Amino acid sequence: MTAESIETRADNTLLRDNAEVAEALGRNYAAGFVTEIESESLPPGLDEGIIRQLSAIKREPEWMTQWRLAAFRHWQTMPTPDWAKLKIDPIDYQAISYYSAPKAGPKSLDEVDPALLETYEKLGVPLHERAALAGVAVDAVFDSVSVGTTFRKKLAEAGVIFCSMSEAIREHPALVQKYLGSVVPQGDNYFAALNSAVFSDGSFVFVPEGVRCPMELSTYFRINAQNTGQFERTLIVCEDRAQVSYLEGCTAPRRDENQLHAAVVELVALEGADIKYSTVQNWYPGDENGVGGIYNFVTKRGDCRGADSKISWTQVETGSAVTWKYPSVVLRGDRSVGEFYSVALTHHFQQADTGTKMIHIGRDTKSKIVSKGISAGRSSNSYRGLVKVEKGAERARNYTQCDSLLIGKKCGAHTFPYMEVKNPTAIVEHEATTSKISDDQLFYCRSRGIGEEDAVSMIVDGFCKQVFRELPMEFAVEAKKLLEVSLEGAVG
Amino acid sequence: MNQPARPPFVAALAEAPLPASGVAWLDKARRENLDAFVAAGLPDTRVEAWKYTALRALSQRSFAAGDAQALSRDIDPALLALAGIEGPALVFVNGVYRADLSMLDALPAGVDLQPLSHALAADPESLRFTLSRHYREPGDAFARLNGAFAHDGAVLRVAAGAKISVPLRLVFVGAAAGAEIAWHVRHLVELGEGAELTLIEQHLGAGEQAHLGTQLGDVTLHADATLHHVGLQQAGAGSSLVRRSHYRLGARAQTHLHALELGGTLARHDLRAELVGDAAGFHGHGAFLPDGRQHMDIQLAIGHQARNTVSSSTWRGVASGRGRGVFRGAIVVNTGADGADAVLGNKNLLLSPQAEIDTKPELEIYADEVKAAHGATVGQLDERASFYLRSRGIPEPQARTLLTTAFARAPFESLASERLREHIDQLLLARLPA
Repeated sequence: MTAESIETRADNTLLRDNAEVAEALGRNYAAGFVTEIESESLPPGLDEGIIRQLSAIKREPEWMTQWRLAAFRHWQTMPTPDWAKLKIDPIDYQAISYYSAPKAGPKSLDEVDPALLETYEKLGVPLHERAALAGVAVDAVFDSVSVGTTFRKKLAEAGVIFCSMSEAIREHPALVQKYLGSVVPQGDNYFAALNSAVFSDGSFVFVPEGVRCPMELSTYFRINAQNTGQFERTLIVCEDRAQVSYLEGCTAPRRDENQLHAAVVELVALEGADIKYSTVQNWYPGDENGVGGIYNFVTKRGDCRGADSKISWTQVETGSAVTWKYPSVVLRGDRSVGEFYSVALTHHFQQADTGTKMIHIGRDTKSKIVSKGISAGRSSNSYRGLVKVEKGAERARNYTQCDSLLIGKKCGAHTFPYMEVKNPTAIVEHEATTSKISDDQLFYCRSRGIGEEDAVSMIVDGFCKQVFRELPMEFAVEAKKLLEVSLEGAVG
Repeated sequence: MNQPARPPFVAALAEAPLPASGVAWLDKARRENLDAFVAAGLPDTRVEAWKYTALRALSQRSFAAGDAQALSRDIDPALLALAGIEGPALVFVNGVYRADLSMLDALPAGVDLQPLSHALAADPESLRFTLSRHYREPGDAFARLNGAFAHDGAVLRVAAGAKISVPLRLVFVGAAAGAEIAWHVRHLVELGEGAELTLIEQHLGAGEQAHLGTQLGDVTLHADATLHHVGLQQAGAGSSLVRRSHYRLGARAQTHLHALELGGTLARHDLRAELVGDAAGFHGHGAFLPDGRQHMDIQLAIGHQARNTVSSSTWRGVASGRGRGVFRGAIVVNTGADGADAVLGNKNLLLSPQAEIDTKPELEIYADEVKAAHGATVGQLDERASFYLRSRGIPEPQARTLLTTAFARAPFESLASERLREHIDQLLLARLPA
């Protein structure tokens, strides 16, 4: 993983030129697919026709269709990335259905199928109660279509737009056109290009100048139907001095196949803006024999476009059979700040290759990385990160700390940090350690009457404290529970 | 698909005649290495091992294979002297052994030191295992090249139990020739059980030249052997030097390496240590100081493969001018290497706005009874220390030189020989702006 973000800008202009050509060529086909709108799921497969159908179902404007097609054409020319420390069977992109929607199209929360709401309940996201009690607005994505958005009004009063990406494309096209793809261009990488071509839905947040978002925003993603990949696309824009905290939780039911999930998240922070993005990822990790589980390929990038802006990523990754995810910050504005706090736990046959990129471009930019990896069973857990200080980034400062904890003899814990420094006034520091849970610590806990499993869980909790502190409270509680559940059977 | 035109570098060497050995397996191995080199060419920066070292400029140059006049090149004996250290030395000029410049008459008992060309003539079979090796990784171009063309180098064997107190020296001189040439040397070093040796390796430049030198070395330490290895790289200013050293350590064997990189336009050094015996230890220390337009790339990879193995490594980089320093320090702890203890540190100073440092410490851990840590920093001189020195009346330029020298010499403090320590101090002081 290198800092291609900068170079790909050039590619993007190329893509746009291509898109115009494509638009001219593609016009005659557009009408041919309108009749397909009735269908709830598209047949498996991926070609330009499918993308046009998808775009038509979602009643998207022509520019959006062309944007998708340009991404698709570029994707076809790209090789599958193989640099990550992951063993993945080849993915058959033609066997996946790229769109599936719940049967009844709900118009408001009251009309949502009670069975769906029940599923959320099981996941601990009771839309009404939790939203009301916790003051959280939830934009739940069930498979591909946003089924319920709460607290819209309250947010609207503050001037905050929080809606599904499909709505945003229809209702706020100017904003979407201005910012979509401006942080992660269509051709940025293989999975981002795929997502750009086929993204089904996602969240859109716009916080206007000077507004502090009155509540924490949250989305719960969930993959349900079999054989459907989920490709959400999230875009969060904070204008000057605006502030927002966004929570994302993910979970998926048990399936034997490996399901594909390729998401893109783009954050834009203008002058003095502050975005905090927290994730608890608990997609189905596969069973103890490594059968099934989600393939999670995510491109997350924030752009500190304005001076004094700040973007902070916090992630707790316990799920997915394969995780490929590098939430990054481009520190363009002077004095901008990027943060990355991560806990990644792998067990059984899970594989995680995750980390961050901090690209220092502006003066006096600061970044901090704290990554905690825990591997158990036969899993493989890698931290991969890049800290890049460009020539003009006077007095840039980075501090990175990566710690790995090993539980068991058959797992692997790896650290691959890249540091590229081109400015003599910058200070970049990296520290990493790898160790197992010390016998002394375990013995102490046991001698106090704490069972082995609880003791391990306590020690792991302590190991992760630095990251959990950064999570909003209810997420921190959930994250702690998730670690306990995920570590079941790791000792003894 | 049409094969793209070979870059001049590959084209020139593809047609060059291979050295004839008269030994069938060796001729075959050389041919295979050359074929593999020509087929793959030079790696580009998409190959991870060459990510920060672009070979585009090198690939556009062409080098003649070897120096036919190597035996008659004039070398000033003063160049070969080293800090009053006397003792056996093997000297190579443009990759060819020079008996007239070498000192082999007073070899201590238990030491067998001879040029590869002689060893091959006398007993090729004993070298077969090492010289028949294939290099299959995508970045192995120079190892293949060396495998094809190297016909000289050093063969050094120390008998079991022999504790050699006199340091042995291997000296490589790149000397000005009519054209730009590519020379290659191949080493085999083997220390028997319980043997002890200090080996000093020097790279020097004589006259203006822009040669390419490659070196491939296999160093084997049997159980309980100890090797003190000192590398002083002061290759000629315009030259390119690509080296690779493989250390293989048996049970309880210890290697202490001190490596200073000062010379060359492009200097690349791959250091690989395999700790295959229980309780083996590798202790690597080094400094690289790219200045001007120098590019220095140190690739250190330590593999812990047995129980209770230890590695500790400290490398320091100082980049000034338009110099670029690259460091990769990888620690791999394999399954079953319980009790491994690995530490690696790489600190770097960036002294000018055009200089660059790229560093990549890596940990790959597959065992759980392990302690592994690494750290890397890139920064500048401590302003408070500089202020303190100035407050004591030391002018700023001197204060900076003093601090920079102190920074770069730190890895050599563990060097046993005081003479060598002083020599390295002088090299550093001469190098850094007064």
